[in-house]
Amino acid sequence: MIRDPYRLRRRSLLTSASAAAVVAAAAACGDDGPAGTADDPIEISFEWWGDENRAGITTEAVELFQKKNEGIKVTTNFADFPTYWEGLSGRMASRDLPDVFQMDYSRLRQFGTGGLLLPLEGVVKTDDFREGFLDTAKLDGQLVAVPIAGNTLGLLYRADWFGDNGVTFEPGYTWEDYKAAVGTVGATLGEGMWAGADWAGQYHFMELWLRQTGGSFYTEDGKALNFDAAKLVEWWGTSADLYADGLVPPVETTIEWTEDGLVQDVLGSEIGWDNFMPGFAPTVEANGGTLALAAPPTLDPANLGLYLKPSMQLVISGATEQAEAAAKLVDFLLGDPEAIAILGTNRGVPATNTGLETVEIDAYTQAVLDYEASVSQYLTTPPPAPPAATGAIEVKFGEIYQQVQYGEMTAADAADLFFTEAETLLASEQ
Amino acid sequence: MSASPSTAAAPAASEAGTPTARGTRGTAKRRPPVTRRGERLAGYTFMTPWIIGSLVFTVGPMLWSLYLSFTDYHLILGGDFIGLANYRAMFDDPMFARAVKVTLLYVVLAVPLKLAASLAVAMLLTQSRRGIGFYRAAFYMPSLIAMSVGMALVWKALFATDGPQDQIMSWFGWEGGGFIGNPDVSILMLVLLSVWTFGAPMVIFMAGLLQVPGELHEAAQVDGAGKWHRFVHITIPMLSPVIFFNVLMETVHAFQMFGPAFIIGGTAGGPAWSTLFYTVRVYALAFVDLRMGYASAWAWMLVLAVGVVTLIMFRAAKNLVYYAGEDNK
Repeated sequence: MIRDPYRLRRRSLLTSASAAAVVAAAAACGDDGPAGTADDPIEISFEWWGDENRAGITTEAVELFQKKNEGIKVTTNFADFPTYWEGLSGRMASRDLPDVFQMDYSRLRQFGTGGLLLPLEGVVKTDDFREGFLDTAKLDGQLVAVPIAGNTLGLLYRADWFGDNGVTFEPGYTWEDYKAAVGTVGATLGEGMWAGADWAGQYHFMELWLRQTGGSFYTEDGKALNFDAAKLVEWWGTSADLYADGLVPPVETTIEWTEDGLVQDVLGSEIGWDNFMPGFAPTVEANGGTLALAAPPTLDPANLGLYLKPSMQLVISGATEQAEAAAKLVDFLLGDPEAIAILGTNRGVPATNTGLETVEIDAYTQAVLDYEASVSQYLTTPPPAPPAATGAIEVKFGEIYQQVQYGEMTAADAADLFFTEAETLLASEQ
Repeated sequence: MSASPSTAAAPAASEAGTPTARGTRGTAKRRPPVTRRGERLAGYTFMTPWIIGSLVFTVGPMLWSLYLSFTDYHLILGGDFIGLANYRAMFDDPMFARAVKVTLLYVVLAVPLKLAASLAVAMLLTQSRRGIGFYRAAFYMPSLIAMSVGMALVWKALFATDGPQDQIMSWFGWEGGGFIGNPDVSILMLVLLSVWTFGAPMVIFMAGLLQVPGELHEAAQVDGAGKWHRFVHITIPMLSPVIFFNVLMETVHAFQMFGPAFIIGGTAGGPAWSTLFYTVRVYALAFVDLRMGYASAWAWMLVLAVGVVTLIMFRAAKNLVYYAGEDNK
């Protein structure tokens, strides 16, 4: 009989534990960080938002990068837009950001303050960007991001549906013209199809509308909203009669959409970013339609409110231990001809000259370039990088407008609530 | 580990009835103090990982969040101590009332329905039938998977417009579309999800039902009591401690409803804030608005509210719950 059944086990346990500790310590001693060779690669992480399609080509480009840069291993991850930002916000608090990640202009200030982003001057190549593109990559004069591509707002519309009804959109047409067109074309469509979509829930579109009369969404210093509740009620009212008449899809329907209405062949037009064109157009064509781009409606024929915005940017985390490798990846994705060939125009028309010369321009991308050329005379100075709370305000803007769509709140009450919420958010970061 | 020495020592103990020198490894309460201290030390040593775990991952963060609730802590910018301002702000916050309303509605609907369902099924499953083990397992199964992301996604598909729910209900004249997009009924699908996962309370009810002495039923039957009378006057009173336990647990759980609501309704508690649960709002405040301090105050308000509700239940239970052997009331 064993007198003390624990003793033996305890001793062997202790022995093996201390042995393990010694081994671990020894291993740690020999580790001065990765050597950057194929056997002991430098590891960096790269994350972006987007769909499966974008993930496929991005991964392909990253694999090419790894092949060309033996000794650097890139771990990748992606998510859809809201999920991506929810995840990064949490990780931002713990300074656990990816080495390289995709940035949105509206979040640049949120991440750019507090040393979360690496200043890029002299770190990445900056000599090849197209005119005006680096303006929106700076925060208070310091370069913290590089643009991947640019975009601007436009009207994506079914040339077949609108053309059949004799409607064309020449720059300078008014919101009333557009509403009339949506009504005319909508009347010819069957149930469950609409000629336009409700534009009032997007803060970017309101910004456009405000810019058309010389206004802006935020004040110059970015500390307050530059309009009042009455103005917001007026904006929300711009689509109200279309909504009430069922000429735009109801919220009950759109809330369940996982794909854009244009792609589903149930929507005739919507205000949106012009770089969506190459993504949507092939599907629309497969559905037997034709997608075209036009300037958005305006309040002032001489001022469309448009500006060239980076559709996406790349940034490097301020906490990265591998700034050199991270910069290499950024340079590669934006400037390597082979990478550009793989990535194509998925993220928009490339922001570098090399990119623009190298990228394969298909008919859809050409349409975007043509569109941007056609409105180039209307492009005005971009607003300063929006305040850090913009991300949350953008979410709130849509969320509160949804209450109006559902009829849960009047536009006036909803506007008051939006102001309370937005002001709290703006105050919380000062 | 402790089972084998104590069973081995059992004959010795019963034989003598008092501690003896011979019983080197007596049962726990008879052991000499020195050994006991040693064992206690060993016990705590083995518990260290869990003690450290709970200090680092539960108690620590809780205290930290309690502190944060008195600050205007911003996830990136940090913050300062502002006393009770967060707690005061909550009562002026229009979203607070909404979140409370949604959560209370859910608790009031989900808890009774779930308990009624679990008790009913428990009564069916305590009969002695062939293959009863299979049925017990089958009915328990949903609770293993229900609170998962996958299930929430399935639920989303089931209650989409033109999904199964919409189609079946439209045979009976329903025109409200899928529950997902309809703020008037969207909470019902979460209630249903909760009801469907009655496994845990069901098992507890079954254990309770099997404890009800058969002779009480027999005696009542002899006296001519019908099934319903026996249920109301024997089963329910005898089961009342178990019912109380289940009500308490389910209520506390219901207040903390998060996962499925978050997946189905998102941070905005869509559609139209109809699934804006309290916890979803806490999440949005913390991780969308980045207002950690204020979010912490919300979280502690929930702790407080659940505490008060629990206290009220315990008070109420004094008069409602019957514990066998306590017949002095």
